[in-house]
Amino acid sequence: MLKQFDIRRWSLAKREAAAGYFFVSPWLIGFVLLTLGPMLASLYFSFTDYNIIEQPSWVGLDNYAQLFQDPLFWQSIKVTLQFSALALPLGLLTGFALALLLNQAIPGVRIWRTIYFLPSVLSGVAVTLLWILIFNPKIGIINQLLALVGIDGPGWLSDPYWSVPALVIISLWGIGQTMIIYLAGLQGIPTDLYDASKVDGANAWQRFWSVTLPMMTPVLLYNLVLGLIASFSYFTQAYIASSSISGGELGGPVRSTLFYNLYLYQNAFRYFEMGYASAMAWVLLVIVLLLTLLIFRSSSAWVYYEGELRGRT
Amino acid sequence: MATKTKTEAPTPAVLKTGWRANLKYYELTIKTLTTFILAAGSFVVIIPLIYLVSSSLKDRAQLRQEPLNPLPIAQVMVRLNNKNEALYNVTIDGQARQMALVKKAPGGKGIFADPAAPDVTYELLIADQTPVRRLEVHWENYPEAMTVVPFDRYAINTLLVTFTGMAGMLFSCSLVAYGFSRFRARWLGPLFIVLLSTVMLPRQVTLIPIYVLFQRIGWVDTLLPLIVPQFFANAYDVFLLRQFFMTVPLELDEAAKIDGASPFQTFLHVMLPQARPALVTVGIFHFLYAWNDFYEPLIFLHSRENWTMAVGLQTFNALYASNTHLVMAASVVMIIPPILLFFFSQRIFTQGVVITGVKG
Amino acid sequence: MNRKRFYLVISLVLLAAMLSSSMAAAQEKTKVVIFVGLGTGTAADQITRQEALAEEFNATHDDIEIEFLIVPHEEANTRYLAMIAGDNPPDLVGPHGTSTIAAYLDTWADITPFIEAEGYDLSDFYPPSLKLNEYPDLNTGLPLGLYPSFLLYNVDMFDAAGVEYPPSDYTDTSWTFDELRSRAMLLTLDENGNDATSPDFDPDKTVQWGFDDSWISIRGLLAAFDAPNVGRPTTDDYKTAVANSDEWVQGLQWFSDGVWKDHFIPSLEERAAYESAGLGTPLDGGLIAMFWSHSWYLAEMREVYFDLEFEMQLAAPSFNFKGTRVARIHADNFTMPEASKNKEAAWEVMKWLSAPEQITEVCLIYGCVPARMSAKDEFSAAMGEAFPGLDLNVIFDSIDYLDTPHHESWVPEWTKVEDTMEYAGGLIFTGENTDAKAVLDEANAEIQALLDEYWAGH
Repeated sequence: MLKQFDIRRWSLAKREAAAGYFFVSPWLIGFVLLTLGPMLASLYFSFTDYNIIEQPSWVGLDNYAQLFQDPLFWQSIKVTLQFSALALPLGLLTGFALALLLNQAIPGVRIWRTIYFLPSVLSGVAVTLLWILIFNPKIGIINQLLALVGIDGPGWLSDPYWSVPALVIISLWGIGQTMIIYLAGLQGIPTDLYDASKVDGANAWQRFWSVTLPMMTPVLLYNLVLGLIASFSYFTQAYIASSSISGGELGGPVRSTLFYNLYLYQNAFRYFEMGYASAMAWVLLVIVLLLTLLIFRSSSAWVYYEGELRGRT
Repeated sequence: MATKTKTEAPTPAVLKTGWRANLKYYELTIKTLTTFILAAGSFVVIIPLIYLVSSSLKDRAQLRQEPLNPLPIAQVMVRLNNKNEALYNVTIDGQARQMALVKKAPGGKGIFADPAAPDVTYELLIADQTPVRRLEVHWENYPEAMTVVPFDRYAINTLLVTFTGMAGMLFSCSLVAYGFSRFRARWLGPLFIVLLSTVMLPRQVTLIPIYVLFQRIGWVDTLLPLIVPQFFANAYDVFLLRQFFMTVPLELDEAAKIDGASPFQTFLHVMLPQARPALVTVGIFHFLYAWNDFYEPLIFLHSRENWTMAVGLQTFNALYASNTHLVMAASVVMIIPPILLFFFSQRIFTQGVVITGVKG
Repeated sequence: MNRKRFYLVISLVLLAAMLSSSMAAAQEKTKVVIFVGLGTGTAADQITRQEALAEEFNATHDDIEIEFLIVPHEEANTRYLAMIAGDNPPDLVGPHGTSTIAAYLDTWADITPFIEAEGYDLSDFYPPSLKLNEYPDLNTGLPLGLYPSFLLYNVDMFDAAGVEYPPSDYTDTSWTFDELRSRAMLLTLDENGNDATSPDFDPDKTVQWGFDDSWISIRGLLAAFDAPNVGRPTTDDYKTAVANSDEWVQGLQWFSDGVWKDHFIPSLEERAAYESAGLGTPLDGGLIAMFWSHSWYLAEMREVYFDLEFEMQLAAPSFNFKGTRVARIHADNFTMPEASKNKEAAWEVMKWLSAPEQITEVCLIYGCVPARMSAKDEFSAAMGEAFPGLDLNVIFDSIDYLDTPHHESWVPEWTKVEDTMEYAGGLIFTGENTDAKAVLDEANAEIQALLDEYWAGH
């Protein structure tokens, strides 16, 4: 019996696996104790009619079936996709470009970095309140600048056609965190790789393609996956912007910012349809999970890990 | 592999001076261009912050008169017949005088009076007169914002939550990330996907069960829900650290293993020093998260003496209340510590990783 | 053990016993937690004054202790539901209005048994205010305060344009929506100083509007037009949607034309001009000549009233196209969750808050008119000090014209119906669709579908 637990007798592979599980155990324990229960509870709610006040009652797949016939559900998907299609690629590119600029040895680089990091220090509420001012169609600085060049600016957050682009601009302003991750990645590239490539006679452009970009792919993967999750669960700024703009129509004007999570929130805490909201949550999880798996599958073709384990798994 | 080329690379002894001069010129151009682009971009980044600071230095009346003037300019008012009236520089019979606008009249005209002799009034075109304005900075907004709610008490809670949480997060996340990046086992791959999926489920639907759970174990109205979970790692930071760990060459591990180091020793002495920029990055992120988070503290902290600064700040944004100047002042105070932290952590952050490859 | 030490020990034990028994007595005080945040009450000065109120109560009561639990407004609904679900309910919730009471209707206890058990005297309350809390089989709480609605106007703008002031006299029948419209157009100016009746008027460059009634739900806007169900988009049995009644269509068209044809009401985009980040409100920003709002708006102006650069006055709301007048009202009170574990004590606290001795003090914290008729003079005196020069009778007179059924009253699927109506209003005020009939027909069909679904399950 006891021999089974004698580590010295374990095979190399078994020992490696045991060490791996040991290292991930802090998360695993916390997951089982604190996270798994509430997640399973919400999965259970998704098969019930649950208004929070009374006990949930089982309805099977009704919530899921109802989702696909709900025009507001499709509207919320449309809004979320519009936002993601703009915010995700723009955020990835601008963040990377900015990090490249801030990785140069220019005078006062620490000050520049601090300036570009500043926006991400402000909390979501304060940011949105400031931007509502800036997007003000009459007195806001954006439309005043546009007026200088003879353009009659739109109503931005109060115009159904411009509300999503306005939110994209706000999210781009706050890419400081993404930029820092890229910057940390750039800082982590061993300088001898550049030296070696210089010696090989590569110019700056070639060095970027042969050293910087491959070495940055792990960080790109991270920002892509997290950017995907963030843009699909976008909530706070849309919530504050639409409830602060006249009328206080959540997701307004005229449902143009009814993001997936905003509609989910409405169902959970305004309509007391926690079961329906839970079904929405699990549908979102499945969509994002599938996209993430797709990205991970493809990553073996484009992500380069200096320290990747190959062979037996 | 790129690292290996380094060891056998000959020192480039013969370099033409012309190439060198060219390079210098080239680098100078790049740097100038970079600075120029950054300066232009920083303008966009900073405008909202200028509003933040300038609104924090105005009073209600100034915010109402000129909400978007970056300078806290105030219209000079005089007390006349128990009312505050705006003071104007007016010209009467070619003579420049200062008078108060008592009332507006049809046709864009106004009735003006000398505050010293209010009985005599003049009807003049308002557009022809210039209002008397002066710079009026309201520094007192800051002490007021700090005393209206007990911010000192909140600051202690915030620091407690932020730093114990940060310690727990750095400890647990680096261990877990090491586990996910350096070991082969049947279930580690699927577990990693499970880890990621925990942040894909919107928290609105787990909030009630989590509250019920914390209520049952007696954590509601304590700081524990904000601190303890940090000791059990989170997907964002584990994933980021994993990505960095995976860029550290395996040769380093192998070398340590040959020297007889256990996996834990390798983690401590090889991996952690290598991943310093990444550790500082997640440290900063956690600080920001804990510093600004009001969502969870709000749900779990009932008593006001347990609140954090972010929650305290939220109460300023109360329904029907217009304390914008105080909200802005408190916001400015709130962003100073994270900015200082970021500025000074860059020293560690930018040292970067210079030692790689297997030495000896 | 010597005798001295023996006595010392004995006296210590006795002292300890006395202390613990007195502490036990202190602990026997029932704690009533009052949840604040669904409505007003979370501003910094209100928090301080509520704490003073709690001290006052706790100092005078041996058996009950109260505590105000302050929750920032944005998160209050989530937190309230979490507390209910976590079996940790508050004992009283408030102050909050008809809308949140309707939204959470299933969670309130009926206070009728408490009233009946002790024959509690309700005769001092304004009779209509009692009606606001009564549901078919539920009375949600004692009236506390009312927020009547009326017109606030910028006297200087009227003087500058040479337009006659709106009347404060509620019997003046010439004061109609048509009359309001024609005066408001004269008060609407573009940046060149042309008013809205001028052929040169440029509606894209408006700098001042004659009238606005924002910061209110669409049901609230339309209640003024006195449809058979006034502020409610359903019939009395809640089974048929009547959101496209002739009165509502006519009323919403009046607003639509006011924005897009006659230009004296700001559009949604133009409203953003004064609503930015809470800087300046419609009236005190000097952009609006007449603003229809409630006494809570006046309460909010308390601190800026003396800094206003113009003279402000109050007037009566106008008569509608049927020749009647409906002045919608808001009402705040405290409600008791059915889940509360201390209902008896909560009832005592509810009574105390609405008692003649406290009601004025409590109402002054929140800015509402006390719901007790006997408190009128005390309240008027306090308001007169805060707002010298205002014709305060306009506020009290308005109570007689309040809206029943109320514009925030319960309907099945309350929040979904509300969101449908807000969407309809959004179409009008963004200009996406300016045809009130078409917009309300669509809304009515949506509401009917919601009602049908609700009744299918009940």
